[in-house]
Amino acid sequence: MAAPEPQPEGSRSLSALLSGIAQAAFHGNADITEELLRDQLYPEAPPEEFRALRAKMGGLLQSIASADMDLNQLEAFLTAQTKKQGGITPDQAAVIAKFWKNHRTQIHESLVSQSRWDHGLKNMSWRVDLKSQLRHIDQINTPVAIVEMELGKNGQESEFLCLEFDEAKVSQMLKKLSEIEESMTLLTQAT
Amino acid sequence: AADKIRLIPQDFLAELCEQIMQHLNHKIPGINTAELCQRIQTSGVDINIGDLAKIANTLSFLFSTAARNNLSTEELVTTLGSGVSTLPKHAVQVIRHVWNEQGKAIAVSEDAGNMATVGQFVDMKWKLGVAMSSDTCRSLKYPYVTVTLKVADPSGQITDKSFEMTIPQFKNFFRQFKEMASVLETV
Repeated sequence: MAAPEPQPEGSRSLSALLSGIAQAAFHGNADITEELLRDQLYPEAPPEEFRALRAKMGGLLQSIASADMDLNQLEAFLTAQTKKQGGITPDQAAVIAKFWKNHRTQIHESLVSQSRWDHGLKNMSWRVDLKSQLRHIDQINTPVAIVEMELGKNGQESEFLCLEFDEAKVSQMLKKLSEIEESMTLLTQAT
Repeated sequence: AADKIRLIPQDFLAELCEQIMQHLNHKIPGINTAELCQRIQTSGVDINIGDLAKIANTLSFLFSTAARNNLSTEELVTTLGSGVSTLPKHAVQVIRHVWNEQGKAIAVSEDAGNMATVGQFVDMKWKLGVAMSSDTCRSLKYPYVTVTLKVADPSGQITDKSFEMTIPQFKNFFRQFKEMASVLETV
């Protein structure tokens, strides 16, 4: 299959093509169609040729993103691709490498959010009130924190949870949160 | 729900009323409907948690109204008799007994209005996980925290609310609570 010309212009087009593919594949942008990409970036290319190019680049990007390749893995992978029959040119490899370096975090985050389907914490706000009602003798003038949490799933309406915490409850919460933080530190040390 | 109350064995009903009274007296944050329901079901009674919750709500309302109006035991029993005629005898007995023992001690809360939407934090469970792989990404390696809050809603029912946080979200969550603690200290 004929590879696009390895000139600066070709690099720019290829880079833009990778952006378009990423937008459609990872960020859910349905407006980026094959026709749009071809018209914008490779207007002179015959449709089948462009289709093949898009498919090849898409496949490579998919492999790279799925494995969340680091620089070493990426280099090994791309080098292997340049040596393959019907693979990519060294210039194309360079463009892909540069693209991945710049977009890896963004694309990975997008893939992560696609796999989060339980309730997430969307937002949280709080204030401190002074309870002055004579509800129970030992509750005169006790400060309480009122916390509002917005819980929701992707694309669904949020649920608002409004909770009251006195000083003791906040301490209780802080103790648990410290435990979590400790576990997290151990986790990051281990991996 | 009035019919279902006749299904509840007397000692379980007494326990429910006890919890309700303790909740109204701010001794406990909430009524453990789920746990009680499970035990009632184990004893062979066919009642679901929705019905039990309704009964708990009704009794809670009954007791708090009685407290607000300073009803004596006789007055309460009379009210019961005139209102819900289908209330079984053993239920009336339990309610009468519980009110007789503890009715006077309930302090009436005046802020019932604006407390309507705020729940009480009871406890928190957590787990830390790492999502390794998914159908869209083989190498996900995404650490997250799952938190389950035990919450007593304004009517006293205890429920669980679960949600997930990313590490940055968790750090922010932690930070907010630390700020809350320092504000509470200085107020």
